[in-house]
Amino acid sequence: MIINALNGLVYGSLLFILASGLVLVYGLRRVVNFAHGAFYMLGAYIGYSVAIHAGFIPGIIAAAAVLIAVGVALDLVVFRKLADRDPLVTVLVTFGVLLVLEDFVRTVWGTGNYAIDPPALLSGVVQIAGAPFPIYRLFIVFASALMAGGMVIWLRYSRSGLWVRAASHSPVVAAMCGVRTNVLGPLVVGLGAAFAGIAGIVAAPFLSLNPSMGAEILVMSFVVSVVGGLGSFGGAFISAMILGQIQAFGVVYLPEIAALLPFLLMALVLVVRPQGILGNKV
Amino acid sequence: MTTSLLELRGVNAFYGSAHILQGVDLSVQSGERVAVVGRNGVGKTTIVNTLLGIAAMRGGSVHMRGESLLKLAGHTAATHGIAVVPQGRMILPNLSIEENLKLGASLRRPGEWTLDRIYGLFPMLAERRRSPGTALSGGQQQMLAIGRALMANPDLLILDEPSEGLAPVIVDELEKLLRDLTETGVAILLIEQHLRLVLDLAERFYVLSKGHVSETGLMKDVDRETLQARIMQ
Repeated sequence: MIINALNGLVYGSLLFILASGLVLVYGLRRVVNFAHGAFYMLGAYIGYSVAIHAGFIPGIIAAAAVLIAVGVALDLVVFRKLADRDPLVTVLVTFGVLLVLEDFVRTVWGTGNYAIDPPALLSGVVQIAGAPFPIYRLFIVFASALMAGGMVIWLRYSRSGLWVRAASHSPVVAAMCGVRTNVLGPLVVGLGAAFAGIAGIVAAPFLSLNPSMGAEILVMSFVVSVVGGLGSFGGAFISAMILGQIQAFGVVYLPEIAALLPFLLMALVLVVRPQGILGNKV
Repeated sequence: MTTSLLELRGVNAFYGSAHILQGVDLSVQSGERVAVVGRNGVGKTTIVNTLLGIAAMRGGSVHMRGESLLKLAGHTAATHGIAVVPQGRMILPNLSIEENLKLGASLRRPGEWTLDRIYGLFPMLAERRRSPGTALSGGQQQMLAIGRALMANPDLLILDEPSEGLAPVIVDELEKLLRDLTETGVAILLIEQHLRLVLDLAERFYVLSKGHVSETGLMKDVDRETLQARIMQ
């Protein structure tokens, strides 16, 4: 039971890192970014390639650095240029970016599965409630808490965090106060993409790498965002933790419908509270 | 000839293809109190929106202290010392009162307006500094919007319909506050539909009609009825 709950916590933590990037970008740009799943996958592959030669930490740094650059480019080339168009146009373009990046990964790394071992320091198991539990999974929880904490501190206590929160609600008021909202776009989308990339490499020793990994987890992170409330970090956290537990206990107690449970939860939330757990009414 | 603080010359502004401002000329001197009056829909708010880059300027020029503001992006006005108290106040509900005020100081322009001074001026904001800005009453939100604008230490404060929805006693307080403010050298451009505040506060006026200035003059030369008649012409 405890081990199941811990596994749920691990999966929920991973979903939260991924969904945080999605929420961050949606908050500012009001765009559901389909390319986010591809960023997760690209981060995993880049991190993997660097990690096998230089070590795991350089792998994380490389994934974050490349994805920041990709995110900045996406904002400058797509989001900014299409800011005045129907949001659906931008969503379709991000879907196109997802397909292009998937093909890019297939071309460079092939279609096979890759696996990567956790770094030596995080290998092995600890005994929890009399059962062995991989140390690396605890690291995923720690990394997620660290990133969530860092993001909360940045948004709450820094000037740029204040600007992002202001611009997320009203770019007009933020600009009226002197904030260069066009500079915030690349910053936020770059950061959101980096979160996805880091989630990818952090997940790599836990899940295997393949070119469809982005699309698979993207669906789950959409469920997290919708259940939590689009644009709400607190909502994304609660929803990721609930979905992590549903996933962990579902496969044990309701294996036949385990894959359906997240979508049933989403349907229930959309009926009872369409704006999501902590989302604003629309 | 002295250089105006703000000068609009032949400004033409559009929302999409709708031609709203049609050759507007307007100027404000340092420390002056100027009002723009006119009926609903004549383009008063579009003057603000042009300065904020929301309405597209296609023709004419805007100068601040003689410097041409060529490309009006959202932050341009603030960069040049113009702070705006927008119509409807636009207090951000996801920020606390204190955060709303700090947002006003984003550019860190030097000057005498600090958080402590704003709290000294509006003590009720200090008492509720951690509450969301939208938890305040209409009049208190107006004070917050003015406080946010003052935090920018502006040279020119533009107020768009500041008396809208306020009780007469609050409008009296607002008038006193704005009058005191100009004594510190801040100029005021007051955009108002209701004449009471305009008559009590402004030194000069512009009447806007169908997107252009139909009349301008000194406030001391007109009474309420005359001004009302000119607005309705």
